[in-house]
Amino acid sequence: MIELTPDKALRRSPLYRRHLQLNAQFEQLGEALVVGAYSDTGMEPRLAISLGLADLSCLPRTGFKGPGAPDWAATQGVEIPSAPNTALAQADGSMVAKLSHQELLIVSGMQGDSGLVDNLNQQIPGTGVYSLPRADSHSWLAVTGLLAAEMFSKICAIDLRTHKFAQGQVAQTSIAKINGIIVRQDLGTTPCFHIFSDIASTEFLWDCLLDAMEEHQGVAIGVAAIRSLDATE
Amino acid sequence: MKLLTCPLNGQRNISEFTYGGEYHPMPDPETASPRQWAEYVFFHDNEAGVVIEWWCHTASSFWFLAERNTITDRVIRTFEASEIFQNRIDFAEPTNGEKK
Amino acid sequence: MQRLPSPYGLLIDRERQIKFSFENKSYQGFAGDSIASALAANNQWLLSRSFKYHRPRGALTMAGQDANTMVQLPSNPNALADKEPLSPGLEVMGQNYSGSLKTDRGALLGLFSRFLPVGFYYKAFFKPRGMWEKWAPLIRKKAGLGVINQQLEPDYYDKQYKFYDVVVVGAGPSGMQAALTAAVDGCEVLLVDENPILGGSLNYSRLDAKGSMAREVRDLLVHDIEANSNITCMTNATVNAWFADNWLPIICQKRLYKVRARQTILCTGALEQQAVFHNNDLPGVMMSSAAQRLIHLYAIRPGKTAVVVTGNDDGYANALDLADAGVEVAAIVDLRDKPRSSPLVRAAKKRGITIKAGYAVYAAQKRGNHLAGVEIRKILSQGICDSQAEKIRCDTVCMAIGYTPTYQLACQAGGQLSYSDKSAMFTLNNLPDGLQIAGSVDSYWELSNCLEEGARAAIIATNALGFTQTDIPEPTAREKHSPNHSWPIFAHPNGKEFVDYDEDLTIADIVNATRDGYEHIQLVKRYSTCGMGPSQGRHSALAAARLVAAATNRTVAETGVTTARPPFAPEHLGHSAGRSFYPARRSNMHYRHIEAGAQMLQAGAWYRPAFYGQATDRDRCIDNEVNNVRNNVGLVDVSTLGGLEVRGPDAAEFLNRFYTFGFVKQPVGRARYALLTNEAGVIIDDGVACRFSEQHYYVTATTGGVDRVYQTMLKWNAQWRLDVDIANVTAAYCGVNIAGPRARQVLARVCTDIDLGAEAFPYMGVRQGTVAGIPARVIRVGFVGELGYEVHVPQQYGEALWDALMEAGGEENIQPFGIEAQRLLRLEKGHIIIGQDTDAMSHPMEVQMGWAVSHKKPFFVGGRTIAELEMKSPTRRLVGFVVNAKNAPIPLESHLVLDGAQMTGRVTSCNHSPTLGKPIGLAYVQPHCAEPGSQIKIKSSGGVMVTADIVTLPFYDSKTLRQEL
Repeated sequence: MIELTPDKALRRSPLYRRHLQLNAQFEQLGEALVVGAYSDTGMEPRLAISLGLADLSCLPRTGFKGPGAPDWAATQGVEIPSAPNTALAQADGSMVAKLSHQELLIVSGMQGDSGLVDNLNQQIPGTGVYSLPRADSHSWLAVTGLLAAEMFSKICAIDLRTHKFAQGQVAQTSIAKINGIIVRQDLGTTPCFHIFSDIASTEFLWDCLLDAMEEHQGVAIGVAAIRSLDATE
Repeated sequence: MKLLTCPLNGQRNISEFTYGGEYHPMPDPETASPRQWAEYVFFHDNEAGVVIEWWCHTASSFWFLAERNTITDRVIRTFEASEIFQNRIDFAEPTNGEKK
Repeated sequence: MQRLPSPYGLLIDRERQIKFSFENKSYQGFAGDSIASALAANNQWLLSRSFKYHRPRGALTMAGQDANTMVQLPSNPNALADKEPLSPGLEVMGQNYSGSLKTDRGALLGLFSRFLPVGFYYKAFFKPRGMWEKWAPLIRKKAGLGVINQQLEPDYYDKQYKFYDVVVVGAGPSGMQAALTAAVDGCEVLLVDENPILGGSLNYSRLDAKGSMAREVRDLLVHDIEANSNITCMTNATVNAWFADNWLPIICQKRLYKVRARQTILCTGALEQQAVFHNNDLPGVMMSSAAQRLIHLYAIRPGKTAVVVTGNDDGYANALDLADAGVEVAAIVDLRDKPRSSPLVRAAKKRGITIKAGYAVYAAQKRGNHLAGVEIRKILSQGICDSQAEKIRCDTVCMAIGYTPTYQLACQAGGQLSYSDKSAMFTLNNLPDGLQIAGSVDSYWELSNCLEEGARAAIIATNALGFTQTDIPEPTAREKHSPNHSWPIFAHPNGKEFVDYDEDLTIADIVNATRDGYEHIQLVKRYSTCGMGPSQGRHSALAAARLVAAATNRTVAETGVTTARPPFAPEHLGHSAGRSFYPARRSNMHYRHIEAGAQMLQAGAWYRPAFYGQATDRDRCIDNEVNNVRNNVGLVDVSTLGGLEVRGPDAAEFLNRFYTFGFVKQPVGRARYALLTNEAGVIIDDGVACRFSEQHYYVTATTGGVDRVYQTMLKWNAQWRLDVDIANVTAAYCGVNIAGPRARQVLARVCTDIDLGAEAFPYMGVRQGTVAGIPARVIRVGFVGELGYEVHVPQQYGEALWDALMEAGGEENIQPFGIEAQRLLRLEKGHIIIGQDTDAMSHPMEVQMGWAVSHKKPFFVGGRTIAELEMKSPTRRLVGFVVNAKNAPIPLESHLVLDGAQMTGRVTSCNHSPTLGKPIGLAYVQPHCAEPGSQIKIKSSGGVMVTADIVTLPFYDSKTLRQEL
């Protein structure tokens, strides 16, 4: 049996101490050690429909920038979103967000399947394409649930209500006074907002989010809940 | 709070932006007189009227320009820097191998 | 408790009794009561003492718009009793009195009021010099308001953003109609009102002789609004300001909403004004709207016998309401010579109410602390009355002489307030795009006009937003009759005709301010403090403007109006403090420092270890850390250092233009010092540029400077358009510096794929490989002047790297060191800290860094200015100094360098060097004192003059051999 202790791995989520405090149960997802669930009551999938917060920082992701980046990524089989600040789900479950005419953020699917990300990272980028260490520069948190936008309105000045902020829309903005990228990519029928922001501020943001969620009885959720939402149609 | 429209990210609160000063074309550093250079670096017109300003959308680090009326504080339009800076800028080798 | 029968009492719930106390006496009220209404129901009208003369005061507006009702709550001073809802067990006290509220010894001050003229403080207490300091505590005690309870538990206040297409401020008839008209398909409307229920004046005023119309219209509008899902209603909520682009802070309970409206419609109504006559501040004297609020909202009879003083038909409506409620209306005193014959006037006559047309209430008399009667006189001309007086006994005076639009938000939005002589009223114009006003704030008074205008404002808004493309109706025709009387002001030989209740200012005070030379209303305000109290001129601006105009023989328009600034109403500090964010950045190794006993400090947002050990043992801990680096090996977390990737064909060219040094010929595998100046030639940052390949530089920057350096890089390249990519990877890399004579042998244990030999990997070399199995960038820099390596790894490996190096160095007894030791080590090497040893004027030559400036390249930012500066003789230089005198107090940052009495420089850094065993430091000095061997005098702590010797830098290892081992 693999020892699932986050404090022994080479790569350690900036939040692993927070997870340990919350009695998280860890599981191996691809090469990453992630929180499966925080409690064994089986309530998390249901709570996540209302308001949940998950740490996906250990899941694979990468980024490319430069005048040649979109064309090069397209030749690697990436379906490129048409406009800046939009995101597109890829066939294999991963997601690509276009942050400007010259910049892409590529993140793995909820199964931790890193096929596309690994493949891109192993290629030698073409002329005018520069890789970005997105797995280390940015943390990855996901806020799920019908009350997510209401909660966000306490810490972010962008109107994220689902009829104003469409599926696949991207906002680069300030969240709790730190810069971040918000991508709406729903899990099944449940609204889901992915936040990519300064990895050094991860604990700060995590605490801010949980504090803002308290009013709505939001809770931390593991990937098991994320996967169960993702599976619903 | 004022709103400003970033050409890349759309309309946002002004608190999302960093002010980058008024745009003034740089005189040729090789040939400008000391007076011209000093005026470029240190003197500001503080003009009452329409000025062009640099603004940066902080979260995306995107620089752009804005035409703003300093009397009414109305932003007339914002546009990408490439509208003014269309070509690569190069500087000549200094004459005599040393700068003045 | 005495109440009128239902349906009087719209706000109260007679089923729910609430016990509370006022001035330690128990009372009962109903749920829905305000403190003031519940007290009024118990015949307690006295609520407070006035600010200056401690005069008895009672409710004036019953709408929370004046300072008369300020009371002390256990958790909250200066609460407005006519606004604050009653809660069970609430303990309410009066404030600003000595003795008791009923018999306040401070009221004796009123007897001396003629010795307290306007501008009194300015005149009396500022000479001789220093007098004010003696007087101030006494005066502040007399003129204080409530008391802050400092024992309170903290409370949770929150903030929230909201977004609406249209925000309608004020839910009176115009506002309700505007909201309904705006709520077309898809248009999201917010309707805000500061009262507990929708309706505005329809809840309490009387529009027709029968007295049923207001409530009927209200019920219809409220019904439609409640049925409309596009309208959100927010009651008990105050729109406390208007900020640019319709940004509206709305305070509701313990939350501050930051609302962005695409269009704003202000239906804020109008504030009823007082008549100015002798003793017009007695409890029992109130606005006619206050009496109607008491009757209709709270089912309270304002008194037994009332006199209505009026200049419009609203006074007649008021008299009818009073009569209906069982109040004996002794007279309607109409300032007009000839009241027009309207249905309301006819109805009042029909009821047999005495009407005294062309009369004024000239003075009020008191018994105890309450109104006992009035003296009315015939008006001869503007403000002048006949000497014949007629006395009427009454316990209530209702004032209905006109209104001022609730202009505050509109003025904050840039609207201009002007005075119309014809309507004797302030009016608003010049409103910005995206903002409409409708209803009585725009001087429409008749219901049908207000509804029409509300709808019109909404159509303008929805057209602008693209929801409708309707023809905008013509503005509703202006009404013929103004409710404002042009001069409801009657001076009395004994004064006490209050213009400003908050500040106890009378007619004479305002007029005397103009006599003292202050003729503009802005100056009158500041000199007299008129309008500067809690109600911010709501009831004093109009009368003061009229008085100033008359006293200076000008029109009101010519005297100007004061500026309306946010906030509209006082707000709790909690609302501003609310949910606040203080970002904190942590390195991946953060908890290893905590576990090792580090004292953490915050530099910008970053947490960094200051030193390891007990805070009480600070100096010794730091010295030990320094000694361990000099003699053994230490490890410091440098994750906070900035990191920038500069990649592409023009990478070298870009750095060549950006930094002062030359980079084009920098070999691959080498690092080079990078000094950054701005266009003024001033040093703004520094770092190291590591060339990992022809087209790839990794550039470090200071912790505090990197974000600005990155932005500045992008800004320049938006202009130069070089073929280069710039990325800020600061957070993406964690880093440590392992330094000390034994650094190599420790690192070698965990780094096997890089040849660490002195020749294979020389000083200022850079390599990529692995450390403890972690992909790493290794840079050999002389960070602290010893053999040292900086190891940068992807962020999430940081803690594992720290663990691996601490373990690898176990045999050598590797010890972590903090930022304090790092600074001391670097000071010993004479390294400057940008921003501490440099200021907004420092250029490279001044700080002995001319060596870092290339003169052989076409251009760099700051180059031209530096070239100009080099041609001038320098005015100061940064030099190193040591203090050799034993027991001299160590100079500190910013201590002055003196030449005789003349300041000639200052210390920028200084500390006791454990390596040299004496204080060392850096200071700016005059060029002629800058040579090693010179001496300077520093004025140190306690004014002690310390002699310091200028020495050659660096202080330690002068040939800089140790870092090149």
